[in-house]
Amino acid sequence: MKRRHFLAASSAAVAFPFLPSCSKSGGGSGSKTLTVFTWADYLSDDAAASFEEKHGCKLVIDTFDSNEAMIAKLEAGATGYDVLVPSSYAVRQLQEKDLLQPLDRSLIPNTVNIDQDYLSRALDPEMTVSVPYMMAPTVLAYLKSKVGTPEPSWHLIERADLKGRITLLDDMREVLGAALKTLGHSFNSIDEAEVQAAADLAIEWKKNIAKFENEQWKTGIASGEFFLVHGYAGELILAQDENEDIEVVVPHEGAAFSCDDLCIPKTAKEVALAHAFINHLSDAAVAAENMEWIGYRAPNTAAYANLSEDFRGSPILFPPAELFAKCEPIAYLGDKLPIYTEAWDRVKNAS
Amino acid sequence: MKPSRLPLVTTILVLVFFYLPIAALVIRSFNASRYTPAWKGFTWKWYERLWEREDLLSALGNSLKIATAASLLSMVLGTTAAFALHRHRSRLQDFHSLMVRVPLVLPDILMGMSLLLLFVSAGVPLSLITITLAHVTFCLSYVALVVLARLEDFDFNVVEAARDLGATPLQAFAKITLPMLLPGILAGGLLAFTLSIDDYVITFFVKGPGSDTLPTLIYSMIKKSRELPVINALSTLMLAITFAVVFAAQRLTRKA
Repeated sequence: MKRRHFLAASSAAVAFPFLPSCSKSGGGSGSKTLTVFTWADYLSDDAAASFEEKHGCKLVIDTFDSNEAMIAKLEAGATGYDVLVPSSYAVRQLQEKDLLQPLDRSLIPNTVNIDQDYLSRALDPEMTVSVPYMMAPTVLAYLKSKVGTPEPSWHLIERADLKGRITLLDDMREVLGAALKTLGHSFNSIDEAEVQAAADLAIEWKKNIAKFENEQWKTGIASGEFFLVHGYAGELILAQDENEDIEVVVPHEGAAFSCDDLCIPKTAKEVALAHAFINHLSDAAVAAENMEWIGYRAPNTAAYANLSEDFRGSPILFPPAELFAKCEPIAYLGDKLPIYTEAWDRVKNAS
Repeated sequence: MKPSRLPLVTTILVLVFFYLPIAALVIRSFNASRYTPAWKGFTWKWYERLWEREDLLSALGNSLKIATAASLLSMVLGTTAAFALHRHRSRLQDFHSLMVRVPLVLPDILMGMSLLLLFVSAGVPLSLITITLAHVTFCLSYVALVVLARLEDFDFNVVEAARDLGATPLQAFAKITLPMLLPGILAGGLLAFTLSIDDYVITFFVKGPGSDTLPTLIYSMIKKSRELPVINALSTLMLAITFAVVFAAQRLTRKA
């Protein structure tokens, strides 16, 4: 009796309609919604507003914080996204899993603006499924007061006087790639002997560094705890703005350029609008405003002329041509990846 | 003999250990410097920027809606489960007990992924509702265990007495059982609220377009955003809210 009573009472309570309503899509009068799955703060307010105005639609931004989590989610069947902004290597993975649709280039006339020099080395040079959006190199930053003003080179990591005051990214491809570059090979070499030689060099580095580190390098260099750090340009440039002692350099051997690309998933509902969005972001004026807001470089030749002198003059985002020629994106290696994982295991286990 | 100072010293050390990092965060939220921990002057600018950021405020709104709905739902379901577990001991209830406890130890990523697969195969569009349902699945366990603990020293003779004196089962429940259990239920609900509001992993998998919550947005901001200190400001505000909620929870449990 008691039990039946309780169940009845509680099931009534369950039916209590207290679920948050999500139907706040204003208008509803046929106005379209474009949903972009991207990184937070990766689109300027102006670029978003001008797109909404031009196409009379609403832009919904949804965020992810890692390519892998995003791919896992899409692979499981999550839908509702019209444009994705993954890193280049993740675009290849998405493509391999057949989650992207080919781009209709006739709907994106602004692709003529894209930097051909960059594109020739990009992972999708024909822009079949993706259009490059923003890129920044992986760089070294050091404290001038402790390191001096040496020639920018990966060899700085070996300097004995900096022992224990250096961090390298805890990232297999970044570290082995830097070692490969130092030895004069491609960042994406799939030659086993070359990668093993790079691992040997990385083991030498490991003896001199404090640790492999993915978070602390930003504050570590700013607070003076570390003298030399390996990290991403966007954040280090900001740190440099605040602390004049910090010098950010692209090693002369060349570095990795990480790039995020715009692409359209197969499940997109607003395919035409998604193309229009990519076209909008590839517009010279929009791209220039957008990249200064974000602090990365959009590989968009037409936009370079619209940049402020200060931004255009950055030797990190816009390295001289001969140095830029030595920079490469991190390629997706598919089944060749074990060459790297084995070498990296050796580095991590070395003492 | 003088009383020992040791307990006092230990207490202070423990409090410092707990709250020093939090104090650092609060101080940083007023620091004009974007990057360096060094003090570069007092500023409200991160709080001002926070106020201008519609995406963060809407994420906060989403988080609050979800946490409220999830804690209310799990208070009802958790209490029901606790009752069933307490009143009826059988093989089935042993299994039930196990099933209620499992979500406490289940890795979040497993739960997030399986819930996503479930929603996708059932054709449920991902939205605030799917996040709320997902949160109920783990909040429920916490509520059930808190209420179960209260039921352990609950005197059911009082209910029997009410029934003897002519109360209907419904009256006995509404006037006797519920009020006596209420502090436990509310404490469980507040626990569920705080758990829901800072869940990240499960939320990421079951969120749909436009339903970013604070944790998912903050994790993403850590990657590329130039306005990271806004998060310090926001964390400070959330901290204040959490303190208030925990304080309220303590008061409620103490009363009974």
